[in-house]
Amino acid sequence: MTRVVIAKVWEIPPGDRKIVVPFRGRAGIGVFNVNGELYALRNICPHKRGPLCTGELTGHIDAAAPPSASQAELTVEGDGEILRCPWHQWPFEIATGRCLVDPDVRVKTYQVLVDGNDIVVDLDD
Amino acid sequence: MTKLGAAPISAPGWTAHPRESIKIVDCDVHHNFERPEQLLPYLSKFWHNHLIDQGLHLPSAGYSNVPFRTNRSDLKDPTLKEGDFNFSLEFLQREHLDPWNVDYALLTGPPPFYGYTGLPDPDWAAALCRAFNDWTIEHWLEKDDRVVNSILISPSDPAQAVSEINRLADRKDTVAVMVPMGTSMPFGNRFYHPIWEACEEHGLPVVAHIGGGGGAARTTPTPVGFPTYYMESRMSRPFVASTHASSLICEGVFEKFPNLKFALTEAQQLWAVAVMWHMDSDWKAIRDQTPWLKRLPSEYFREHIRVGSQPLHEAETTEQLYQFLEMLHADETLVYCSDFPHFDWNDPVTTFPKLEPETQQRIFADNALEMLRIGDDWL
Repeated sequence: MTRVVIAKVWEIPPGDRKIVVPFRGRAGIGVFNVNGELYALRNICPHKRGPLCTGELTGHIDAAAPPSASQAELTVEGDGEILRCPWHQWPFEIATGRCLVDPDVRVKTYQVLVDGNDIVVDLDD
Repeated sequence: MTKLGAAPISAPGWTAHPRESIKIVDCDVHHNFERPEQLLPYLSKFWHNHLIDQGLHLPSAGYSNVPFRTNRSDLKDPTLKEGDFNFSLEFLQREHLDPWNVDYALLTGPPPFYGYTGLPDPDWAAALCRAFNDWTIEHWLEKDDRVVNSILISPSDPAQAVSEINRLADRKDTVAVMVPMGTSMPFGNRFYHPIWEACEEHGLPVVAHIGGGGGAARTTPTPVGFPTYYMESRMSRPFVASTHASSLICEGVFEKFPNLKFALTEAQQLWAVAVMWHMDSDWKAIRDQTPWLKRLPSEYFREHIRVGSQPLHEAETTEQLYQFLEMLHADETLVYCSDFPHFDWNDPVTTFPKLEPETQQRIFADNALEMLRIGDDWL
């Protein structure tokens, strides 16, 4: 098991992130705190190799039906759970690395552990 | 001058080794002012007062963009404000020219500013173009040999456009004339011919970028009205580009100005194959209406029209993309455009599948160098 200390726990409060570069090459890794849960993603977008973890956060945006005269309800749920790559804006679910617009695409995720005050990423995961 | 294509790419997020031989001429790099007031020193007293009194007042159809606006969100600049991007040469050098080892970058101005083509007053539009050009000269040129410029002109008054071309064409760092595609008439119309004549006279190609009226206010972005969503408005771009291309060919612009080159950028590329194929078959039946066309329309296209490579679509298979590049005669017609710093930019390395070295050299450098008339002895 190869463990790497990424940060102290207070460095990444909920809604925040830390990108560690260089880390296994220049692209590195991003550790996100989503509502108290920590997740780590590879900082390379599987689409066009953009610096994925530097992207903006959104939520799951949905609509029950196409808009009509009587109803055009757009919903946003889980704000902050979706990461959008700054190159081409593909959305990824931080918790799973799953790409929302292409089921065959996912970004590599790493297991994150808290050891005392240290946030640790397991590289072999 | 730096050696072409020699330095390694160290762009953020990039871990692989670059193709060392890659030579990059980028025909679409957007630069912008931070505040409209920066244009004030370059406006005459009347227009100076007008800008203070009225603001830019540029028309826009109001389409949204992607979340977080138009620019790449990995480009962090402490001075970035909403809606602004890339407003200093240092930013461009740090975020684009240096990390990607770009050999030449053609400045094309900010697309939101292209709304000047929809201004009802042609004098205001021309004054804004002059001011923007002078601001660009003072803040972007002469400090970096890699940065080359296109003269922004307003097509709504050809006489003033010609004056502006004559005023700036002799600058060594000025290699094209830039006009947004959103006009109220197709570019082949004789109304515009004085502009194309001036371009040919000075050996400058026209680079027409999508935006302005088509997607703003002068005309609807489609012939059947305003679509609802931003994605739809993007789907209308190829129709704007193909209308201009077929107009330029049919109206005999390239018979009249045999040395003119005309690039159409950020309108994708599939349309170009359709225009070449469809026009060639129609020409055989109805050439009598345009008998000044002595050659197949596709021959005019391949000789005179250049197509910007961005946004390049992802084909279902790589093989299909290769086939498409062949149909397009990409080694003659396609010029690399990054569209820096927008969200849908195409980086120089991952955008295309592996290309034959000659094809890569044509798309990424030689087609553009020939169009812009930048030779080995240029600097």
